[in-house]
Amino acid sequence: MRLYDCADIIRSKNAGPFTLTIDLFFGDDARYDLARRSALLTPAGVARAYGVSEDRVVGVFWDDRIRAAKVSLARWSTCNDALCPDLFGAHLHTPLASSDLDADPQNGDTA
Amino acid sequence: MTDPVRILGFVNHIAPAPDIEEEIAQAFEWGVDVIVAQGTGSDWGPYWLGSGRQPAANQAANVEPYVRAALEHGVPFIFSFGIAGSDRHLDTCLAAFDELCRRNGWTPTLGVVRSEVDAQILHQALNDGTEIRPASSYAPLTSLTHEDIDTTDRIVALIGPEPVMDLLDQGVDGVITGRALDIGLFMALPMLRGIPSAIAAHAGKMLECGGLALEPGDSGRSIWASLDEDGFEIRSLTPAARASVRSLVSHTFYERSHPTWEENPGGALDLSQATYSETELGIRCEGAQWHQAPYTLLMEGARRRGYRSVTLLGVREPELLAQARAWTDAAEDAVRQAPRFAEAVASGRLTLGTRIFGLDAVLGELEPNTAVTGHEAGVLIDVVADSQALADEAAYYAFIRMFIGPYPGRKTTAGNAAAPLMPIAIPAGEVFEFSMYHLLPLEDPLAVGIRTIETFPRDTSGHSLAVDATIEEGQSR
Repeated sequence: MRLYDCADIIRSKNAGPFTLTIDLFFGDDARYDLARRSALLTPAGVARAYGVSEDRVVGVFWDDRIRAAKVSLARWSTCNDALCPDLFGAHLHTPLASSDLDADPQNGDTA
Repeated sequence: MTDPVRILGFVNHIAPAPDIEEEIAQAFEWGVDVIVAQGTGSDWGPYWLGSGRQPAANQAANVEPYVRAALEHGVPFIFSFGIAGSDRHLDTCLAAFDELCRRNGWTPTLGVVRSEVDAQILHQALNDGTEIRPASSYAPLTSLTHEDIDTTDRIVALIGPEPVMDLLDQGVDGVITGRALDIGLFMALPMLRGIPSAIAAHAGKMLECGGLALEPGDSGRSIWASLDEDGFEIRSLTPAARASVRSLVSHTFYERSHPTWEENPGGALDLSQATYSETELGIRCEGAQWHQAPYTLLMEGARRRGYRSVTLLGVREPELLAQARAWTDAAEDAVRQAPRFAEAVASGRLTLGTRIFGLDAVLGELEPNTAVTGHEAGVLIDVVADSQALADEAAYYAFIRMFIGPYPGRKTTAGNAAAPLMPIAIPAGEVFEFSMYHLLPLEDPLAVGIRTIETFPRDTSGHSLAVDATIEEGQSR
């Protein structure tokens, strides 16, 4: 299952000028558990989805109370780049969202 | 036992909901000790700070119903003003606030905190051996140098609660600041009344975006909280929204890279043990921790990078859509290789790029699709150069290459694309970058933030009463 189909809300936004954060909210325990156990929502999986090195992933955080995850990573293009295409970082979720939750970050297989 | 401190919070750069008077009335029915609203931020990037401009948010009009209520009930208000929040931004808002007071016949005595940072303070700090480090390890910045200071056009600091507390303590009707830490505005009165920093900061975090922390979230609405020594209760002021555990916890996530840890001047707010429970009318929040740390202020500084020119083309010809990226790349190369631009490109004075809306405008190099799949696309040519004239010339040059340049299989020899805008190259003006996003260590939290007490509307002579000698010295620069 793609992350996009699993999550109810996918909230992409800057966290300060140089980092991006994507908040994910899941509608029920089953889908939350699926996401929590996924290979995608790990630092390695996120790095793979965006094609960046793992040290650019700030972290993947979970909150069981509200069935939410937070994925934070360094921005690859920031407001300090003259030609930055997304100043608010509000539309940078799609590489992650369109990835399969079970993607194996070791071999990049997203089948 | 400390008396509860009740806060009415909102966001003052967002226009209030049409029924805001009803929310304000509800708040005063429950009790209000202070009205607080943030109106600064750097979400937009460095442009407002560098240019000295601000969006036409009309912050003075947005606060009008709240100021009326505050003055009627004799409770103070605390606002940060001006988006980027430098002196220039603040002065624009204060002039509008003068007019608001004049029109309503109000004569409040207000504390004003200016957050612009004098470059000399930073030179002095470096000379004293202080290391001024970037606030984020992901920022493309190094420890501050004298050259960084000299080449920065405008610097502000996100002042903490202390300058606001100092002014509130002197019995003013309200405090207006330039750039400020949002939660610091909310922390000021509770801390002055003896509420622990952890509780004040946690409440500030929940209140700083007004009704955005409610369900449904809307920062045009307000929010109410009552703080005590052990925690606080949050309530919605309208039946149109409610506070829920889910809405509040998800708000702690908002625009933060870490969900439970936030570094602030003088300490870090730790919400890893925070609890949220339902009450009759709202949500009770407890368990925040505050880890004391050396006092630092986040500074933002903007430096002019150059000038932008943009031009737009519309493409609907299928043959051209099929090879859109190769066609724009050829035009970009033509600019880079033109003898008139070669030196400017080589020396970095001229940068250009094309964004194909319909292909890769949003993700750029991360975009996995390699061909336009829709029936039309837009091409934005984006040029930044060290003069407006050079940027305009290069943008026009690129436009012409795309408009008339041959491509394989071309049938459209009178013109390759649609031109929607005149003049073709649109001068977009100055471009800025954050040359500073650094933490300034301070022994005295009051050392930055020039404080004055002024009666509004101010007379034209600009008379103001300085609070102490340090401030007078700061003003004379």
